[in-house]
Amino acid sequence: MPKPVKSIDLMSDEQIMEAVKNGNLQQASLLFDRFQKRIFNFLVRMTGEREVAEDLTQNVFLRLLKYRHSYNPEMKFQSWIYQMARNAFADHYQKQKQLKPANMKVEKLHESLPDLTEALEQEETEKRLIRALAQLPDDYRELLVLTRFQHLKYEEVAGFLNMTVANVKVKVHRAIGQLRENYFELENA
Amino acid sequence: MNTHEWESKLIDYIDGKATKAEREVVEQALLHNEAVRNLYNQLTEIIGAMNEARVLEPSGKLKANFEQALQGEIAAQSKSTKTVHFSPTLYRIAAGIVLLLVGLAIGFKINQSNVEADRLAKLEQQLEENRKMMLAMMDNQLSASQRMTGVSVAYQLEKPDDEIVSVLVKAMNEDTNTNVRLAALDALGKFSDEPVVRSELIGSLKVQKDPVVQIALIQLLVKMKEKSVLNQLEKITRDAGTLKAVKDEAHAGILKLS
Repeated sequence: MPKPVKSIDLMSDEQIMEAVKNGNLQQASLLFDRFQKRIFNFLVRMTGEREVAEDLTQNVFLRLLKYRHSYNPEMKFQSWIYQMARNAFADHYQKQKQLKPANMKVEKLHESLPDLTEALEQEETEKRLIRALAQLPDDYRELLVLTRFQHLKYEEVAGFLNMTVANVKVKVHRAIGQLRENYFELENA
Repeated sequence: MNTHEWESKLIDYIDGKATKAEREVVEQALLHNEAVRNLYNQLTEIIGAMNEARVLEPSGKLKANFEQALQGEIAAQSKSTKTVHFSPTLYRIAAGIVLLLVGLAIGFKINQSNVEADRLAKLEQQLEENRKMMLAMMDNQLSASQRMTGVSVAYQLEKPDDEIVSVLVKAMNEDTNTNVRLAALDALGKFSDEPVVRSELIGSLKVQKDPVVQIALIQLLVKMKEKSVLNQLEKITRDAGTLKAVKDEAHAGILKLS
């Protein structure tokens, strides 16, 4: 029998997920509100396709409902949901194996960026950044999306990538180095 | 130091994670080593570009689709909750109790009615808890979707008691959310054979101000062949403050009921 939940906004992600696990399914809506944008942005940077990223985000939250009984309350909810997002991307990537990461729909993503009023130069910079990012191997791209675009700490990322913090740092530095090379090669192209 | 080593030192420097000693090494190199300076400029630009990259907004349909899936999951859960008393495990437990009672009756001549009464009392308690949860959801003023779920659970009942009817009527007439009002009307429509419900539906036509609910209510009353609302329908057709679509529905209702 689910217990009534009070002061929901003050509850941690872990407490809410535990309530969901115990049958208070409606609270999943709150987790959706808290995480949908982050998961969508992670997936849009990984896939390069807005529509695919929306489908995969939906898939992640459906997995949350489906596998709610397997949630371990001692694990950070954020780590758990990112792990599901990584799995959703990996499953999608397996299905699309013939498409290489470099085939990311850069133009399509660029077109779908909000129509803001920044200078054209900034749009060019971002377009080049997306291209340079698309040329990275999956693991490097994933690390940069998590730590630089999503601003997760190395410790948090190490937790769900099953890596040491030192190892995460080394790989992030190498990924930035590789991204720098791609980015300035595109500038000179 | 090779390029990779310099890159790593410079990234720590840009991120503000370099120690004092490392900062001094980097700052000396920036003054005297052009290659390191170029590397620094490029890294600053690429790290800045990542920091300033836009955060994209998912479309509204993502939320709508999730809410729909969630309500489906909740409905599935409440179904399984409703049938829990008839699961094979409980059958086995019940059978065990019966066998135990028979054995006890034969062996020790103990009256089995007390045990049976306990079991029934537990079942009743469980049903009462489910009922209270449903009423609490319908009374949740903070969440329309919770109220919606409560109303959906009420819809699945075979026969509502007076308290549930009263909460549904209150939702139909007063809820701030049109979808909840419509769902409550839908649930009451299912129980319209009950005289109390029928009378509440008729009464609601006088107080209902939401045009969407008014139209649905008129359609329901016509379907129920409730001729006593003819006067009220005529009043609606003459009411200057009522929307044309509602008046049209009232006209159609009058034609069908007359």
